[in-house]
Amino acid sequence: MDILQTENLTKYYGEEPLVVKALDGITLQIEQGSFTAIVGTSGSGKSTLLHMMGGLDTPTGGSVVVDGQSLGKMSRSELTIFRRRKIGFIFQNYNLIPNLNIYDNIVLPVELDGRSADRQYLDNIISVLGLDGKLDRKPNKLSGGQQQRAAIARALITKPALILADEPTGNLDSRTSQEVVGLLQATGRQFHQTIVMITHNDEIAQIADRTIRIEDGRIAEGRWQG
Amino acid sequence: MKHYLDLIQISAKQHKKQNRMTRLCIVLAVFLVTVIFGMADMEIRSQMIQAVKSDGSWHAGFLVDEEQGALLKARPEVEHIARYGVLNYHLRDGYRIEGIETAVCGFDKELLEMFPAAELTEGTFPENTEEAVLNESAKTRLGVRVGDTVSMATPQGEMKQYHITGITKDTALEAEHDAFGMYLNTDGFSALRPEETKSAQEVVYYVEFRKFCNIQKAVREISAQFGLEEGQVRQNVKVLMLMFQSQDTYILQLYFVAAVLASLVVIAGIFMITASMNSNIARRTEFFGMMRCLGATGKQVIRFVRKEALSWCRTAIPAGIIAGICMVWVLCGMLRCLSPGLFEGLPVFGVSYIAVAAGMIVGFVTVLLAARSPAKRAAKVSPLTAVSGNAGTVQAVKRTANTRIFKVDMALGVHHASGSKKNFLLVTGSFAFSIILFLAFGTAIDFMHHALTPLRASAPDLYIYKEDYTNQIPSGLDEVIRKYSGVKRAFGRGYAEFTIPGEGSTLIVISYDDQQFEWAKDSLIEGNLQDAIDGKGMLSVHREGNTFAAGSNVTVSAGGGEQEISIVGTLGDVPYSYGVDSNTDSMTGMAVCSEELFRKLTGEDGYAVLDVQLNRDATDSQAQEIRKVMEQECGGSVAFSDKRIGNKETKGASYSMSVFLYGFLAVIALIGFFNIINNIAMSVSARMREYGAMRAIGMTVRQLNRMVLGETMTYTVFGVLLGCVIGLPLNRVLFQNLVTSRWGDEWSVPGWELLVIVFIMLGSVCLAIMGPVKQIKKMTVVDTISRE
Repeated sequence: MDILQTENLTKYYGEEPLVVKALDGITLQIEQGSFTAIVGTSGSGKSTLLHMMGGLDTPTGGSVVVDGQSLGKMSRSELTIFRRRKIGFIFQNYNLIPNLNIYDNIVLPVELDGRSADRQYLDNIISVLGLDGKLDRKPNKLSGGQQQRAAIARALITKPALILADEPTGNLDSRTSQEVVGLLQATGRQFHQTIVMITHNDEIAQIADRTIRIEDGRIAEGRWQG
Repeated sequence: MKHYLDLIQISAKQHKKQNRMTRLCIVLAVFLVTVIFGMADMEIRSQMIQAVKSDGSWHAGFLVDEEQGALLKARPEVEHIARYGVLNYHLRDGYRIEGIETAVCGFDKELLEMFPAAELTEGTFPENTEEAVLNESAKTRLGVRVGDTVSMATPQGEMKQYHITGITKDTALEAEHDAFGMYLNTDGFSALRPEETKSAQEVVYYVEFRKFCNIQKAVREISAQFGLEEGQVRQNVKVLMLMFQSQDTYILQLYFVAAVLASLVVIAGIFMITASMNSNIARRTEFFGMMRCLGATGKQVIRFVRKEALSWCRTAIPAGIIAGICMVWVLCGMLRCLSPGLFEGLPVFGVSYIAVAAGMIVGFVTVLLAARSPAKRAAKVSPLTAVSGNAGTVQAVKRTANTRIFKVDMALGVHHASGSKKNFLLVTGSFAFSIILFLAFGTAIDFMHHALTPLRASAPDLYIYKEDYTNQIPSGLDEVIRKYSGVKRAFGRGYAEFTIPGEGSTLIVISYDDQQFEWAKDSLIEGNLQDAIDGKGMLSVHREGNTFAAGSNVTVSAGGGEQEISIVGTLGDVPYSYGVDSNTDSMTGMAVCSEELFRKLTGEDGYAVLDVQLNRDATDSQAQEIRKVMEQECGGSVAFSDKRIGNKETKGASYSMSVFLYGFLAVIALIGFFNIINNIAMSVSARMREYGAMRAIGMTVRQLNRMVLGETMTYTVFGVLLGCVIGLPLNRVLFQNLVTSRWGDEWSVPGWELLVIVFIMLGSVCLAIMGPVKQIKKMTVVDTISRE
C-alpha cells in the first residue's frame, strides 16, 4: 500500500523568461514501511521535494497525498495539526529546542497535541536509540550524533505515517553517519515506519530499500536495492 | 569596498528591519531627553515670566545711602540700577486719600523696566514732585481720571496735592489688601520723605547685573565694600534660582532633584539602547564569527560595532531631537491655551538649545556606552561558531525550561524570559524602572495639590471679613450675595477662641456650613465627618504636637461656664489659618464644628468671614457691587480682600508645574510602553528560526502566540513586582517627607498611580505581542528554517 503519492508535482520560482523550475513534474509513490533515499546534487530540487511532501511548502502545481489525505486541500492550521500527527521531521542541524532538555524535546510534538506520550513506546525508542541516561541533559551538552538520535526519537514519538529526514548526516562524521542511518533504518523496521531521507551521499543512500535520483527537478533514476 | 568598515553599510542594507528597531530605540531615548530638558527649560522660562511679573526682574536690592548708591552704579557688573522707596507698606501709618490707607512708592523711571507689574495702563510717569500715578483700584473708587488732582493726608496732618499723570494696574498685594497705591518719582518721594523721616524706610537700590556675571560673588563683594549687614541686602530669590544663580539651600536641593531626574532619564535611555543592541548583536553571532574567521581581530570587531552604532546616530539623533522639539511646542501651546494671559511670553515655536544639546550629547554618549558591552561580546565570538554551523541552533543555556508547572508552550515562553539571568534582570529592571519613576514622581503631584491653596475647590475670589474677627456679618447675607450675578458660591464661617481650663491653652473653633464640610472630606484623617455635620462634636485640626485625638473629649470655657465637647474626627488641615499663624503660642489648637454647634457654644449667629467665589466671566463691576452690598449691610468695619489676581498667578504657576509634572509622568509611561514593545519585538525576531523549527514539528500559530504571551507576561509580572517592591517604599518615604511632615496626611498605597501604570504596562503588553503575532502568522516555515 502507498502511504505517499505525488502527482506531477511542480514548483516554479520567478516569472518567464527567468523562471526557475525547482521541481518539474515529479510523480512518485512511497510504499508503507519502506526506507527511501532521495539523492541528487546540490540544487537538484531534493530539499524542495521533501518540503512539499511534509506540507512545509506549497507546490505550483500537482498534488501530494499522504495517508490518503491531499495536502493541497488543507488550510494552514489543518496542515499544522496534520504535520504534528502524521509526519516526523529530522533536520540536518537537528533543530532541537535549546531551552528544553532531551526528554522534553522528544515528547514535544505529543505535548503540543495535548496528549501524553505512550510511556512504554517512549522507553522502547529511548533504549533502541541509546539515549538512556541522557534525558535530563541539555541539547548543547550532547555530541552531534547524540543530538541527531534525539531528533530521530522526536520524529518517532507521534508514530507518524511518514518520517522525512533532510540530510540527517550532513553535520556528522562518516562513522557517526553510518551509525545514525543504521539506527534510522532499524527503528523504521522495528516501529513499522515509512522513511524518506534526502542525502547527497551515495554510500549512505545504499542502506535504503530504494533510491530515487533527482536531477534538475525531475526524477532521473529510481531503483530498488538488491 | 575599500575598507572593512564599509561592510557596515552593506550589512545595514541586509538587516534593514532589525536596524530600524535599534534606531527607533535611539530616536526614543533622544526624544525623551530632549522633551525632558525642553520641558524643564520651558518651565523655567514660564516660571521666569511669572516671577518677573510678580516680583520684578531685579537681581538684588541694597539699602545704601546716596553716596554708596553712586559708587554702586559705577561698578562694571551693574547693568541697570534704580532707586525705590516705599512708605506705609503695611497700610497702617496714616497716609490716606479720602480716609483710605495708601501705600506710597517713589522710584526712578528705570524701575518700570524691572517691574513689569508697575507698567502704566494710561498716562505718563510723573515728571515733577507734584505729579503722581494711582492704581486702578484708587481710580475706580475715587472716580478720578488722568489730569485730576487728589489730596493725600500725611500722618502729621498735612494735606499734599498731587496731579494725576497716569494709572497703573493693581498689584496682587494691593488687590488683596484692598489698598490704594500712589507712585511718585524719586524726587517727589524725597520731597515727601524728609518730613516723615522717622516712619520712612531708607531707599533701596535695585540692581540688575550683567549677563554671565557671578551674582553671588558680586553681592558678596558689594556687601563687603559698603559694610552691609544681611538685612540690608535682599535678593530676588525666585529669579536668581531660575538663573541658576542662587545658593539658597532649598534651591540647591531643587537643583539636586533636577540632576537626579536628568540622570534617571539618561539611565532609562541607556537601558533601552543596551537591551536593543544586545539582541541585535546576538542575532548576528554567526556573522561576527565569520568576520573573526576571516581574520578580523577582536579590536576590529569592537570598532565595527561602535562605528555601526554611530552610523545609526546619524539619522536617529536628529529625528529624536526634531520629534522632541515638536512635543515641547505642543506642551507650550497647551500652557498658552490653559492660561492665555500668563503665558503669552512663551515663544510659539521656541527652540530650547539646552534640550537640543542634551539630546545630542546624551544620544551619542548613551550609544557609545550602550555599544560597549555588545561590542565586547561580539569580539569574543569564536571563529568556530561560524564554521561549525551551530550558531543560532543550539545555544548554550544554563538550565532548561520547567515543563511541570506550565504547558510546554507557556513553559518555553516563561523560560525565554527568565532563561538568561542577565537579560531577565535587564528587561525586568527596565520595566520596574518605569514604575519606580512613576511612583516616585507621583508624590510631587500630591505635594503640589497641598502646597498651592488657591487650587483648592474652597479657594475664595473675594474674602470679606470683620477686621476684629467678631461674628458680626449677618448669617443670612451669604444667601443674599448668592443671588447676585457673577456669583458662583458664597459661604460664611464663624470664628471663636476658647480657653481650655487648667491647661492655659486656647482653642480656636471655626464653624462650617455643609458645603465646607463637603470640601473637608478629602482632608479627613480619622473619625466621622457626618457626626460633625450633625453637630455631635468637633473635628480637630492636625497641628504638630497638638492634636486632640478622635474619640476624646475637650472641656472649654464658654458662655460663662465649662462645656465638654467630643472630638469626632481629625482633619489634616484647613485652608484657613487666620488667628493661628499670628499666634506664636504653639499650644493653640484648632477645631471645626457645625454652625448649629457653634451657635450653642458661643450664642452668636453671624459670621466673621464670608467667602465669595465668582464665575469665570465675572466682571470687576460685579465684584464692586458685592462690595457695596457688604458695606451697606455691615457698615465700614468690614474688610474686603480681592484674591483674584493672586489666585490667577498661583494657578498659572501650578498649570505650568502640572504640565511639567504630568508631562514627565507621561514620558515615564512612554518609556515603559516602548520598552515593552521593543523588548518583545527584539526577542521574537531573535528566535524566529527556533519558532520555524517548532512550526515544522507541529506547533500551531496559537501555541506560538501563547509562548510569546508567556514571555511578555513573565517580564511584566516580575517588572511590576520589582517596581512595586522598590517603588512603594520610595513613594512612602517621599510622601512622608513632602506631605505628611507638613500636612499630617497619612501615606496610603497610591492606588490610582499604580492602576494607571499597571494599566499602561498591560496595554503595552497587548500592543507588544500584536507585532510578533503578525510576524509569526506570516512566517513561512521553509524560509525560516533554511535562512542564514
